[in-house]
Amino acid sequence: MNIKDQIKLSSNVAVISGIFCTAVALLLLLNFWQLSKNDPLESNAMKVLIERLAQEPSNAELKQDIRQLDLLARKAYFNTQWQINTGSYLLLFGAIVFAIALRYYYTLKSKIEIPEQVVENELAAKALSMKWLLAAGGVILVSALAASYASVNYLDQFGREEIVAVEPPAQDPGIEVVEVGAEPVLLSGSDGVTTTDSLASSAPAETGTTSGEAATASVTATPAAPALPGASQIMANYPSFRGPFANGVSSHKNIPTDFDGPSGKNILWKTTVPLTGYNSPVIWGNKLFISGANAQKREVYCIDRNSGKILWAKAADNIQGSPATPPKTTEDTGLAAPSLATDGIRVYAIFGTGDVISFDMDGNRVWARNLGVPENHYGYSSSLIAWKDKLYIQYDNNRGHKLVALDVATGNTVWETARAVKISWASPIMANVGGKYQVIMAADPFVAGYDADTGKELWTARGLMGEVGPSPAYSDGLVFVTQEYATLMAVNATNGQVVWKDDMYLSEVASPVAAKGMVFVATSYGVLAAFDAKNGEMLWEHDSGVGFYASPVVADDKLFLFDTDGKLQVFALSREMNLLAESNLGAKITSTPAFADGRMYVRAGTTLYCIGK
Amino acid sequence: MNLIKKLIYLITALHLLLAVPAMAQQRFPKPEFESGYEQPDTITPEPRSLALEYFDVAVLLAVLALASWLALKKRSREGILWLSIFTLLYFGFYRNGCICSVGSIQNVVLSFSDVNYAISAAALLFFLLPLIFALFFGRVFCAGACPLGVIQDLVIVHPIQLPFWLRKVLGLIPYIYLALAVLYAATGTDFIICRYDPFVGIYRMDAPYTMVVLGVAFLLMGMFVGRPYCRFFCPYGVLLKWMSKFSRWHLTITPSHCIQCKLCTTSCPFDAIDYPSEEKAIVGSRAGARKFLLYAVLLPLWVGAGVFVGAKSHAYLSRANQDVYLAELMIAHPEVKDDPDNLDVQTFLSKGRTLEQLVEDARIVRKKFYTGSMIAGGFIGLVIGMTLLNQVIFRRRTDYQPNPGDCYSCGRCMDYCPVDKNTAQLKTAVPVMKKE
Repeated sequence: MNIKDQIKLSSNVAVISGIFCTAVALLLLLNFWQLSKNDPLESNAMKVLIERLAQEPSNAELKQDIRQLDLLARKAYFNTQWQINTGSYLLLFGAIVFAIALRYYYTLKSKIEIPEQVVENELAAKALSMKWLLAAGGVILVSALAASYASVNYLDQFGREEIVAVEPPAQDPGIEVVEVGAEPVLLSGSDGVTTTDSLASSAPAETGTTSGEAATASVTATPAAPALPGASQIMANYPSFRGPFANGVSSHKNIPTDFDGPSGKNILWKTTVPLTGYNSPVIWGNKLFISGANAQKREVYCIDRNSGKILWAKAADNIQGSPATPPKTTEDTGLAAPSLATDGIRVYAIFGTGDVISFDMDGNRVWARNLGVPENHYGYSSSLIAWKDKLYIQYDNNRGHKLVALDVATGNTVWETARAVKISWASPIMANVGGKYQVIMAADPFVAGYDADTGKELWTARGLMGEVGPSPAYSDGLVFVTQEYATLMAVNATNGQVVWKDDMYLSEVASPVAAKGMVFVATSYGVLAAFDAKNGEMLWEHDSGVGFYASPVVADDKLFLFDTDGKLQVFALSREMNLLAESNLGAKITSTPAFADGRMYVRAGTTLYCIGK
Repeated sequence: MNLIKKLIYLITALHLLLAVPAMAQQRFPKPEFESGYEQPDTITPEPRSLALEYFDVAVLLAVLALASWLALKKRSREGILWLSIFTLLYFGFYRNGCICSVGSIQNVVLSFSDVNYAISAAALLFFLLPLIFALFFGRVFCAGACPLGVIQDLVIVHPIQLPFWLRKVLGLIPYIYLALAVLYAATGTDFIICRYDPFVGIYRMDAPYTMVVLGVAFLLMGMFVGRPYCRFFCPYGVLLKWMSKFSRWHLTITPSHCIQCKLCTTSCPFDAIDYPSEEKAIVGSRAGARKFLLYAVLLPLWVGAGVFVGAKSHAYLSRANQDVYLAELMIAHPEVKDDPDNLDVQTFLSKGRTLEQLVEDARIVRKKFYTGSMIAGGFIGLVIGMTLLNQVIFRRRTDYQPNPGDCYSCGRCMDYCPVDKNTAQLKTAVPVMKKE
């Protein structure tokens, strides 16, 4: 075969394969057009048959017809799909043949060319390319800008409505507001309630109600909202997980250290609540609050702390945004792990569904809302703190990490502060640092202090890692945090500087507590260790062999600590180890006890124990 | 215009037409069986064993080393061609185009932005090795180790020379593609390089229609425009270009010294040979100092404009993210909740999450996009500004030499050089020119 024949052959192959490619491409286009025009599933015949079936639901023949038509539709679809796939590969094959034939054709026809036949003038080419580059750059930027203006930002629109809805009234405390045509009304605080300690302590409610129950204060002609408690009232009660300001130190005295669960010695009463939960009791006056949950329902219980009688039990239901199916949690966390908070006017509860609910002290629902279902592989467990007019929620989940402050009266968001942390199971604490209250929270990778009024992040101290469960403790300007596999560290609460670190004994679940210049850490493998709060020197350790999930708490100048088998150990707050007493409750304990007037309350699943003399 | 040319244009046009409806193809609705039918469990294909992953890395290392030796030492175009065919078969058809260095950019970026994502050592090495080789030996990865590059290289039939301005303008696309790929990977949105990989469909022989059509369209174009994807799309090429510019040893056209015979001028299908400077250009360049200053001053403006446009564009760029898309869809069209055929919405509703939470998640994503889009915009602005600035920078050249940034080290030009590599003298018989 001479070169001319080869050229002719390659040319013919190229032409034939080219025509083949064109034909296949046309058929594919036709196929697609057919598919988009004639969707058998959307056919009128099918619609008519379905309508008829609605009228004659028992017509077996009609059902058979529908099945036949449906089968036909599916066959047609898969047939078309096969045609498209086969066509695509035929096209690929044709293209390869076309390419080879063309290459051969051009190779045979190639001639020796004169080098540099056409050479662009470099300067002219660059000048031209600059013009085109300027035009292209302009087109890119302008079209991107035009596209941005042409698109609607629905997320922002959604956000704006929400922000307007939750913005608190912009009123300064103590401002006298005069409405036209109405009597002058003194409005104090952002929602018409007094918010300072001095005002609260001077309010008749505080002095008049020894039990600390809600009281209404009427000012001039219009009844105002009840006075919020001051720090002294908070300290006199047990309003959060681990007591006042969630710090693990209670002022209550005469706490019994000698009891026996199985024999009933010094067990004043036992009460069973319908639903279980791992939250710890909180107390205001004579009322004790816990919550319980299962997959079907969530409930809040108010119990008379003197008699053990359930005063009221209220369901947390019909909450907008609450998921129909609760998120999955592990058995040892459940949906009612966070402890409640109370301010003596209302009680606040949060559940693993993201539902937050508030009742007044008589069990009337005040408000309820859903914060968004927390994505949490064990279950949401951070407890609440109520202070002044805000309810503080540490909402560190797999998606979204933030500190949320809700208005205690309305449940509206006052502010939110995003946190650059990972998921956490710890609870916030409140600390008075140099006269300013801070919300202090621990998570991977840092412990941080936030202005309790504005939510502004004041300081952070890195050092935590992994799944942080223990909450911080605060004493004398120092914050103490710990986490298994990370560290125990003391942090200056004014600037976030790490004062000391130690990793001898670290806690996995139980929170540390600090008192009398010492900090105590209870480990999940049964060691209680005491450290000097100022320099981290280890003072003593005590291995009881059974792990601690309940947090150590200080009351009556002693340290109380339940192990998971239900044995209470009482230690002196001294720089030498001094185990004062041991008592056995006879039930598995993972919740932290609460104290009031010579009594101790502790929860074991659905059972609540009152220990006293 | 002869018949063959007409056919070429017709086929190309048809393929572009094919690609358009293919984008709109709907998924067939899920069958609804009344009773007695259990949906089979979906089976996730098992990942490649660790030993085989390291074997792939070893193969890549060997191919890169061989390509460097063939391009720099052996100076064998034929060797590189056969190595390309091996890569086509091994990394292309056997490994189905994955794992690939081009896509590994996204794995690396995601590993930096998402602490929960751990990049495999193999993916990291696939990312690093070609760059390290480019830093020492030029873009030998493109020559013989990249499955995306070699398939285009093998179909080059009748390459045409593109005008300088067009090359420069189209040359902006890889930078934009890189910026977007990094943005989408860093925000955990998508791996767009893989999603729009035009050749993986051909390698897998089992790809969606769109992927096959896109690949065939690129190959058809590649017959006349050498390596269109590599030159005007490949985001990894940007990184290779940066490395190769500083390459310690790079392929040369002549084994000894250039005799200015000009025989190589038409040899490169990728327009990657720099010509010696013209005297007129040298004289003209002296007037460019003012222009240089002007464009240097404008550079921050380009960056600023890019940052501004990026900030403005973040909202619609973020719509590629599933959470943002779904949140906006459900806000704009609340009625979609009642549409049983909308699988995205129905899947979301079945999870028990609320719209508020979805919006919150979407806002977090959008916040990331805000920062990311500004950086991406600033980068694109910088690239435009720098490309413009480069047009007024004049580099004096005396010989015909491959552009170290653009040259793929394919070795075609070496065969055109009449200088003998052993004797450094003219070969006794000038080879018959092979036009590829």
